[in-house]
Amino acid sequence: MAEQPEQPIIATTALRKSYDGVEALRGLDLHVPAGSICGFLGRNGAGKTTTIKILLGMARPTQGEARVFGLPAHLPQTSTEIRLRTGFVGEEKDLYRYMTVAEMVRFTASFYPRWRRDLEQRYLRRFELPAERKVKALSRGMRTKLALLLAFCRGAELLILDEPTAGLDPAVAEDVLQALVTHVGAEAMTVFFSSHHIAEVEQIADRIIIIDHGRSVVAGELDDVRQAFCRVEMVFDGDAPAAVFRAPGVARVRRSGRVLTVVSGGGAEEVVSEAQALHPKSIEVVPLTLKEIFLASLAEEV
Amino acid sequence: MLWYKSWLETRWRFLIGLALLLCSAAGAVLSYPQVLKLLPQVPPNVDGLLGVKIREAADLARSYRGFVWSSWFRQNLTQAASLFAVLLGTASFLSLEGGALFTLSLPVSRRRLVGVRAATGLAELFVLAFVPSLLIPLLSPSVGERYALGSTLIHSACLFIAASVLFALALLLSTVFGDVWRPLLIALAVAFALAVADQFLRSPAFSLYRLMSGETYFRTGRLPWGGLLAATAVSVSLHAAAIARLTRRDF
Repeated sequence: MAEQPEQPIIATTALRKSYDGVEALRGLDLHVPAGSICGFLGRNGAGKTTTIKILLGMARPTQGEARVFGLPAHLPQTSTEIRLRTGFVGEEKDLYRYMTVAEMVRFTASFYPRWRRDLEQRYLRRFELPAERKVKALSRGMRTKLALLLAFCRGAELLILDEPTAGLDPAVAEDVLQALVTHVGAEAMTVFFSSHHIAEVEQIADRIIIIDHGRSVVAGELDDVRQAFCRVEMVFDGDAPAAVFRAPGVARVRRSGRVLTVVSGGGAEEVVSEAQALHPKSIEVVPLTLKEIFLASLAEEV
Repeated sequence: MLWYKSWLETRWRFLIGLALLLCSAAGAVLSYPQVLKLLPQVPPNVDGLLGVKIREAADLARSYRGFVWSSWFRQNLTQAASLFAVLLGTASFLSLEGGALFTLSLPVSRRRLVGVRAATGLAELFVLAFVPSLLIPLLSPSVGERYALGSTLIHSACLFIAASVLFALALLLSTVFGDVWRPLLIALAVAFALAVADQFLRSPAFSLYRLMSGETYFRTGRLPWGGLLAATAVSVSLHAAAIARLTRRDF
């Protein structure tokens, strides 16, 4: 699933990061084109947050390179420029507990020359954020909304969101996602958001990257990925043969009684032609859901 | 607005320190008549280290200048300033519980983050070193005494420069650890160890606390330039180390 997008907003090449000898990233290659809403999927500990921290200059790569807007993320000067053009919402939404909502907004606005006062007022009303309430007195949902407001109003070209709906009830999560979709629809921007909630990625992303054990295992337009992944089920008269499939993109082969199942990330055509050589009683090609694609792309120890 | 953030994070420690020191300075001056009355009751023949200390304190208290130096600059102010230098140096600076990732997502260099934080803390420490001490010359006429403003300023300057070493140490530790408690406890332990070591040092030139109290100036009338320069150099080095450490740190 190689891809060569033009002028990526985010690009990493052979990115590696180790913490005390433990490898969090093992040669990660990412390309996020301008204007896309890119869902960054992976199970816990796959390296999503580490990647985001490197993109924002919060952590430095052990090897390889990360670029945002074409600027190297590990250099202090260019990292500041990247952060000036990027809105960020962290997983913990760890804002300053001792500030009020109004103080948080004033504080954040002071760093961004392109701060959008119009959006500030709109989102304060839409999210029903009480201006004089301290952050420590806000619910997690309200804190998330405040964090989103602070990211939206920066006049940013890129939004990086780390698990934006983590810990939210479904109603608030839906509200947050709707706000995100509406905002991105109205403003010309790129969104890169990590999640392990497949449904929400499916709901808003037009592009996905699945990361596992610090490496990108699936990347591309969501529709292309859906088309590429399929399950080919063969039913035999007797026990299914122990076959080896050489078609590119074969992710998994499973035998169960008379049924042989092949999960492919490289389309069905070549798998089907190989399957026909085995003379099964029937062959059926079934498209995969994103959840199945996600599970199929993870390493075998899942 | 980084200044405002730093102020919000340190204001209670600073204001509590200022209130305590103002009360302590006023108390020291206003207690002098009572101390004079009690001086004749000091036992002349107490043996050992305790006896030496008692006789020294009594001898110093016979002059108002000696009393002020002994009870205020050497004792109350030095002890409290050491504590608050450490507290101001460690106050929730980029702790992982205090919005560190949000701060790091702002378009601000880490050098500037440390710089603003250090400047705010040093400004507060400056106020703690100078303002309560200014009460001494102001209140002295109320007990029939006079205390030179120049001496007050020199003692306060000695205290500020020496205490800035402890502040810088605490700041450096707060860039090493992700929590608030370890930097605080380690810096306090170092301050305590220095105070214990001070009991065994012969020369005031090598003692942080004697530099803090301005002992050389009190006893000889000369400024401890060597100590002041050394403390400034150590403080600047610790601040530079804090910047270097934070610039390299992964979050």
